[in-house]
Amino acid sequence: MRALVHAELLKQRSTRTVAGLLAAMLGLVSAAVLLHSLALPAEELERIDLQRLVFGRGEFLATLFAALVGAMSITSEVRHGTIRATFLVSPKRERVVGAKVAVSIVVGASFGVAAGALAVGIGTVALGTRGIDVLLEGRDYALLVAGSAAAAALWAAIGVGVGAIVRNQVPTLVGICAWLLFFEGLLVGDASGLGDVGRFLPGAAAAAIGGQGPDGLLAPGAGLVLLAAYAAAATVVGMLATNRRDVA
Amino acid sequence: MADRLGDRRNALSSGTVVEVRSLTKRYGGLTAVDDLTFSLPGGTITGFLGPNGAGKTTTLRLLLGLAEPTAGDALVLGRRYRELDQPARSVGAVLESNDAHPGRSGRDHLRTLALAAEIPPGRVDEVLALVDLDAVATRRVRTYSLGMRQRLGLAGSLLGDPQLLVLDEPANGLDPAGVHWMRRFLRRFAEEGRTVLVSSHMLAEAAQTVDHVVIIDRGRLVASGRLDELTRRGRTLEDAFLELTGVAS
Repeated sequence: MRALVHAELLKQRSTRTVAGLLAAMLGLVSAAVLLHSLALPAEELERIDLQRLVFGRGEFLATLFAALVGAMSITSEVRHGTIRATFLVSPKRERVVGAKVAVSIVVGASFGVAAGALAVGIGTVALGTRGIDVLLEGRDYALLVAGSAAAAALWAAIGVGVGAIVRNQVPTLVGICAWLLFFEGLLVGDASGLGDVGRFLPGAAAAAIGGQGPDGLLAPGAGLVLLAAYAAAATVVGMLATNRRDVA
Repeated sequence: MADRLGDRRNALSSGTVVEVRSLTKRYGGLTAVDDLTFSLPGGTITGFLGPNGAGKTTTLRLLLGLAEPTAGDALVLGRRYRELDQPARSVGAVLESNDAHPGRSGRDHLRTLALAAEIPPGRVDEVLALVDLDAVATRRVRTYSLGMRQRLGLAGSLLGDPQLLVLDEPANGLDPAGVHWMRRFLRRFAEEGRTVLVSSHMLAEAAQTVDHVVIIDRGRLVASGRLDELTRRGRTLEDAFLELTGVAS
């Protein structure tokens, strides 16, 4: 298992994919936080929940990009055919999926820390230049950054699971983006008419970990436990699917 | 370790490296491999021949544990591939010539496989030299020619110094010099007492390289045995093949 983890780490380091995704994520985090901090009306930005929401863009984008990193650890192998050599060398396929989950969790957590810290840093400076008092305290900051790390790490594992189940790269990545950027937005809150089931969805659970929406979403600890359960389920289903199905 | 040596001893004592018994693979209503039985003696180069769509690649995928048979067995060194402890140390295989990430260097491609197979890193440079890729090892695979990619795949299959080499259409897309190189390489490999199973639909090329053949058509066994027995009395492999697969007029 250690050997497989080392192999997966080298796979991540030996192409430019992860560095490219990291750069894209940091660029988007900067743009999103700056746009919100500079463009929203001052009287809105004086509210603590809105400050938390703007600073939380880091966590949101980290979960999205971590999920893509996790998914691509499998779908990129399917796309380029390296999955064949991978499974020829390691026919106990569930261990390969396990190693991918472990490495993706580490990469995802790093993405989460980087995005979370960048977002609160840029947000604090941007609000300061407009003379708006930041109402968030030290523990809010800690929760935003640590929550970003945890949410991104767990979503990276979910990404591996989804990638292992879907396998085809483009539908996997489009599906993850559509889920996080669109579908959950429809289901969270009462817009769907289903009541508040939306807060139990994995994207809402990720937001809850960072301390978002104390009224509408779960408490951070509950969000963490729920998201960990999603990640574990995605990993197990991904392992079973990978073990049972033929490799193209 | 003990297990692996056991595998080899069993295989050597029975003289059989690959054993396929009543192997069947169905996809919905389509039978890709139909009750196929053959075996490979050690130390031979066997051509696995058949028309396009005959089920050659499917059979190799079943043999290598990438697909599960609907019925029957495909055994390598006496065991199912997925039950081998360190398969890379007994079996090397290349199914597609292009199986590498274009953005990764050839050397890093091999290093990932060596790490996973727990093969010492020094072996990566050995196999790169073996397939004449040492000069381009640090270049990204995207810059490789088809022949270089094919040799990279071959290098990966050789990492574990295997007893059995399984290659699917290795001559596809190679220029004459590449075909010549591949043929010489396979001969040398087999001369060391090791076994090669190589699929092909290019009969003239196969006839120059192999000493045994297994011919299938529409998933079923048509003939198997020594090449010189099949081509007795001035019959070429092509004549024999066309007659056996029912295409001859």
